[in-house]
Amino acid sequence: MKAGENPFGDLLQDYIVESLPLAEQVGDAFVELERRWRAGDPGDQVLASVTGSLHTIKGNSAMMGLTPMRDVAHALEDLCGYLARAGASRGDEAAALLVTGGGLLVDLIGSASADTEPGAADQFMARVLGFLGVAPEASAAGPDRRQAERRTQPRAGDTEAASVVRVDFRRLDAMLEVLGEGIIQHSALAELYRRLLRRVGACEELGELDQTVLSLQKTLSRLESTLMETRLLPVSTVFGRFPRMVRDVAHAEGKRVRLEVTGGDTSLDKAVLDRLGEPLLHLLSNAVAHGLELPGDRVRAGKPAEGLLRLQAAAVSGRVAIRVSDDGRGLDQTAIRAKAEALGVDTRAADTAQLHQLVFVAGLSTADRVTTLAGRGMGLDVAANVIHALGGTIEVESRPGQGSAFTLSLPVTLAIVRSLIVEVDRERYAVPLSHVAETVRAEPETIRQINNQGVTQWRGDLIHVADAGAVLGTGKPCEAPRPFYVVMTAGARRRGLLVDRLIGHQDIVVKGLDPALGRPAVVSGTTILGDGRVACILDVVRILEGAAHGN
Amino acid sequence: MSESFLVIDDSKLLHQMYRLIFSQGDLAGSTIHYATNGREGYGLLAAHPDLTLVFLDLNMPEMNGLEVLARARAERLHSHVPIVLVTTESSEDDEARGLAVGAWDYLRKPFQPADIQRLVRRARELRRGRGAA
Ligand SMILES: [Mg+2]
Repeated sequence: MKAGENPFGDLLQDYIVESLPLAEQVGDAFVELERRWRAGDPGDQVLASVTGSLHTIKGNSAMMGLTPMRDVAHALEDLCGYLARAGASRGDEAAALLVTGGGLLVDLIGSASADTEPGAADQFMARVLGFLGVAPEASAAGPDRRQAERRTQPRAGDTEAASVVRVDFRRLDAMLEVLGEGIIQHSALAELYRRLLRRVGACEELGELDQTVLSLQKTLSRLESTLMETRLLPVSTVFGRFPRMVRDVAHAEGKRVRLEVTGGDTSLDKAVLDRLGEPLLHLLSNAVAHGLELPGDRVRAGKPAEGLLRLQAAAVSGRVAIRVSDDGRGLDQTAIRAKAEALGVDTRAADTAQLHQLVFVAGLSTADRVTTLAGRGMGLDVAANVIHALGGTIEVESRPGQGSAFTLSLPVTLAIVRSLIVEVDRERYAVPLSHVAETVRAEPETIRQINNQGVTQWRGDLIHVADAGAVLGTGKPCEAPRPFYVVMTAGARRRGLLVDRLIGHQDIVVKGLDPALGRPAVVSGTTILGDGRVACILDVVRILEGAAHGN
Repeated sequence: MSESFLVIDDSKLLHQMYRLIFSQGDLAGSTIHYATNGREGYGLLAAHPDLTLVFLDLNMPEMNGLEVLARARAERLHSHVPIVLVTTESSEDDEARGLAVGAWDYLRKPFQPADIQRLVRRARELRRGRGAA
């Protein structure tokens, strides 16, 4: 449902920004309420805490002409109004309705900028009406809505400073792109200065030019760090969807789980956050499905029937630590050993810590049982790869019978470099644009072989052209002549690199290299491309230096 | 002298909507004060005796609309300033109660820009009538 014809249609983004966190609070509260009811606690305060938010969502949605959202909020308000009364049937059915409705509300608001199917909202309203119709206390007059109207709650955010503006994140991405162009233009200017210096020699004007180019660089890097700070978002923006998902896995697995989240206000770059959701979700569902025991088993082991799952974030010495821990059975060392042996890994000499690290190895991370989320999830090895590609580390501690803890350490901000993405032997590589002079279609007759090296005419100069497969050591023989070359420059050095495909320009987030892999001489880091593939970033300076020494 | 209005609503989205409405037609150029809860709203009301019209949301944290209204009227705070109680699909009971406590009129969400413009016109007439008297 679009808000296009509505007089306030232009405020759709503002609507989402304000209503989505409220809906997430409501959804979390319903998950918590269900947990409390099962533990025999009436949860009155939890119920009371959502009425203000639901009412605001209802009003906001109505103003925006977003009928499905208004209807769901309204139905939930009615349901809460009924459940707040003495003698209401607060059972599994009511809890399931609340949790479903909370989730639906989050989904509807989150996708409000797209067309929304009204079907789900209608179905939900019908279910609520059905429930209220058969519930013993629901009077013919329906639930008392005025109760909800008057019960109000102070909420966070009301004291928000007036100097804060909300910005659509796409604008920050656009600013980053412009900054990238500025950085490239600065490199061109610096190069021009060096060429002038060679041609006319040192003079006063050139000295001033040098100073100006230098201060331009300082300004640009200040701008870059300011922009990087602006891109920081609280981790709660990702954590928000976890309670409901943990609850879903717990239901499917027959587990009882309390999720405790702390440090939601810790900040990370949005690019990191966007990629962190999947691995964290995997760690959490893994903990519920395999870490925590069934309630009966827990009681027999002298633990509370309800398992404790903790998700903690904190800023630690310039980085962000995120920890997922449970009080379950701990890693099964015997099973890890058996699987490793089956894959031909010799574990006889491995100590406990080394055994635990094996859970991150492909083929060992897959759990025996298929869980509901495993189908769309990733293995622990893939989760670890994502963390590594973000420049982060992941460690595991575990004690038999006491539980496991996965600790992630992540950089707060990221270096972002606009790059040319190329393909060589079906792998993708990133070449920082500041080192790309031109991309040229390689006509075979224009490249001559001199002393076993390709040479071509480029802008009036003779430059070497090397095969990327040979430079990168892909180890594959070149099947057909590669159709393009990229003219790379570093200082006065330049060289062509023959590649299979030019994919395009992209802002890439620079990640460190996995120390375990060592540092290949021609690669300065890695990145994850938009499609999730890992690409190596070429270290152009080293490639050109190597070529110079090779000559 | 430009007219001034007071909007008391806990939703920033609603503030944006009022801002949009008050940027159009003959309302453009008027001054609007915003409060995000009842307590803050009461403070702004007390500080501005010459408001043309006040829009007061019913459902708010830290004093709801009815409480603000009741207190303002009990303390005889600028009783000449008309206050519109803004409700959300609320029962007529609330609106009746609001009128009983001293609301000048009520407005139900969802409202349209024209609803606000109509209320402002009436408030101006009220003001002129009082000025003439
Ligand atoms: Mg409100």
